[in-house]
Amino acid sequence: MMKWEYFIYFALPAILLWLLGAYNAWIKEDKKKPTIYTIAGLIVFFMFIVGMWISLERPPLRTMGETRLWYSFFLPVAGLVTYKRWGFKWIMTFSTILSLVFIIINIAKPDIHNKTLMPALQSPWFSPHVIIYMFSYAILGAATIVALYYLVKRKQLEAQENNLLNMADNLVYIGISLITIAMFMGALWAKQAWGHYWSWDPKETWAAATWLCYLIYIHYRLHAKPVAKTAMIMLLVAFISLQMCWWGVNYLPSAQGRSVHVYSKQ
Amino acid sequence: MPDKKKIWEHPWGYAEGFVIAMGVLLVGFALQIFVGNIHTQVYRYPVNLLIGVIFTTGLFFLYFSAKNNKIIYWFATVKATVPALIVSVALIIIMGITPQFSGAMAEHKGAHKLFSIWGWHNMTTSWTFVFLCFYMLFIIGITILKRTRQPFKTQDIGFYLNHIGIYVALLGGMLGSADLQRMKMTVEQGNVEWRATADDGKIYELPVAVQLDTFKIEEYPPKIVIINSNTGKVQPEKRPETYLFYGTGKTAHLAGYTIQLLEYLPQAGVVQDSLNFRYAPFIMDGAASAIKIRVSGADVTTPIEGWISNGSYMFPYHVVDINKNHSVAMAMPEVKKYVSQVSVFTKKGHSKKANIEVNKPLSVENWMIYQLSYDEEKGKYATTSVFELVKDPYLGVVYTGILMLMAGSVFLFMTGAKNKHV
Ligand code: HEM
Repeated sequence: MMKWEYFIYFALPAILLWLLGAYNAWIKEDKKKPTIYTIAGLIVFFMFIVGMWISLERPPLRTMGETRLWYSFFLPVAGLVTYKRWGFKWIMTFSTILSLVFIIINIAKPDIHNKTLMPALQSPWFSPHVIIYMFSYAILGAATIVALYYLVKRKQLEAQENNLLNMADNLVYIGISLITIAMFMGALWAKQAWGHYWSWDPKETWAAATWLCYLIYIHYRLHAKPVAKTAMIMLLVAFISLQMCWWGVNYLPSAQGRSVHVYSKQ
Repeated sequence: MPDKKKIWEHPWGYAEGFVIAMGVLLVGFALQIFVGNIHTQVYRYPVNLLIGVIFTTGLFFLYFSAKNNKIIYWFATVKATVPALIVSVALIIIMGITPQFSGAMAEHKGAHKLFSIWGWHNMTTSWTFVFLCFYMLFIIGITILKRTRQPFKTQDIGFYLNHIGIYVALLGGMLGSADLQRMKMTVEQGNVEWRATADDGKIYELPVAVQLDTFKIEEYPPKIVIINSNTGKVQPEKRPETYLFYGTGKTAHLAGYTIQLLEYLPQAGVVQDSLNFRYAPFIMDGAASAIKIRVSGADVTTPIEGWISNGSYMFPYHVVDINKNHSVAMAMPEVKKYVSQVSVFTKKGHSKKANIEVNKPLSVENWMIYQLSYDEEKGKYATTSVFELVKDPYLGVVYTGILMLMAGSVFLFMTGAKNKHV
């Protein structure tokens, strides 16, 4: 039986392996060692997720803490993929740190974990919908890191700049394609569970705002000399909207007592 | 900048884009203030179909009759798109912050006059929102048409799927909403019901009837908690702990106490004699579940034994007091699933038997029947089921758009961003 209390015994080794991977990315030109360490960390971390899945008898996707679990997992995945594709040495350090933040939140503030899953969530749509969303959040998190890096280091970048902007573009394209798929899966599911595909519930409204924010970025970057700084600020705004959609909405007056998507509060 | 152009001087840029998008917004606000909210009944079939057809053919007509017109072409650029999207996001964010009420509850007490005036509590039926949607559709339409002038390449498939997809889904969803019907129907076990209540409280007779043959609820096992005896709050308050019961002979650790689970009666009733009271098997409607426990812990000198029960409509709940402040209690079990076994009949003379549950609706002619809720006061002994009946004739249109968008995303994923800035 996997228990939430054992989380630290998996998270700690995983973080250490990811840090080793990130460190090796800084000092080595060869990408082999960083890749192996990161994947080893991912395997350790994923063992905990699988363990929870088995002992809860349902996918661990229901509470905020459980979705943070997936986020902590997908961030190093996104970091590794970006590193392999573009070779930026710093990206894995950042994704590991961000992952660590979510791990610390989960250790300091675990949710109540029990096996119950309300009827609306008992659907084959549930797992792909949330898992794809979490993966896209991680990818867009990586894009946000790129934007922050750009805004801070803007003056010293020079030759790197185009490569960096191109990386942001590609991350956003991947992120938004996943978000689109996950969002409309949610729509098809909502039709089956609640009778309508889109009800403009606060969570859905913020999902639409987030989707449009990334569309703005994509379209802005398409034509005629976009200002790089403006584009990167757009990415930051989009990520704030994403946070609103993910958890901020639970604290809004518009959602109090009326959002059908607030499951984690008991 | 060397070539500072004046506004409205060609070629148009972002400035013009913002002015036009804001213009659309302001016209919308003005109409909202003077005319009030849009009543969806106004554009029920065939009006909505007509609007859709006229708008779409109008786009074609405008585009082909104004070939090479600078202004029409300008709408198919990001200079028009980005401002339109930014203004839309602003409106959607307002909608995400202000509570939304459906038409019938516009006078809700949470409504604020300052927001109602702009239509912000009923955003999707406000003039502003609808105008902006049409402006967006206009841009997308012109963009698609303009693209057809380029020689076709395989990479274009993604572009067409995404843009035609959003056009179809948005237009279909917006106009179709007028013909969307959602009704609530409450049926008692053994009865047949033809009538249902709409959002506005009006009762309609439907072409489908539902007979509730049986209604069944399955519950999760009970949960054990420590509560504060005075406030009823689950302990520890900062991070409430619960224990999901899954068999006797086990031990639960909650809020610093150890609870041994000695005996379990899934269907129990209270037996009271002159001296004390206890639980005994009670195999009838109204039975509660009860667990015999033994509590020990730091401040418990001798272990305390007793029964806990979450009660039912026949029996009160029962807790075991540990001390002045803390008691062991059984929380209401969560519902695992509820199923209505029904026979449905239609005016056309069809009938069929089926099970309806959450996530498994039943489709009958043009209607979908959903399991909505049940008589929650009676809990697992409920004999009344509540259904929602939905008719959405434009669902096929919207689904076509949604599926195109999902397919378009796969293309976007595969092709990624072009490397044009390097
Ligand atoms: C919401 C309303 C939308 C509007 C108003 C809009 C508008 C536009 C415009 C004006 C262009 C420039 C086309 C050109 O000059 O050839 C464009 C291109 C593009 N749009 Fe959209 N679009 C919208 C939605 C979307 C969606 C939903 C997606 C995908 C998720 C998307 C992805 C793209 C892509 C990838 C291009 C570049 C095509 C290329 O250059 O190959 N757009 N869009």
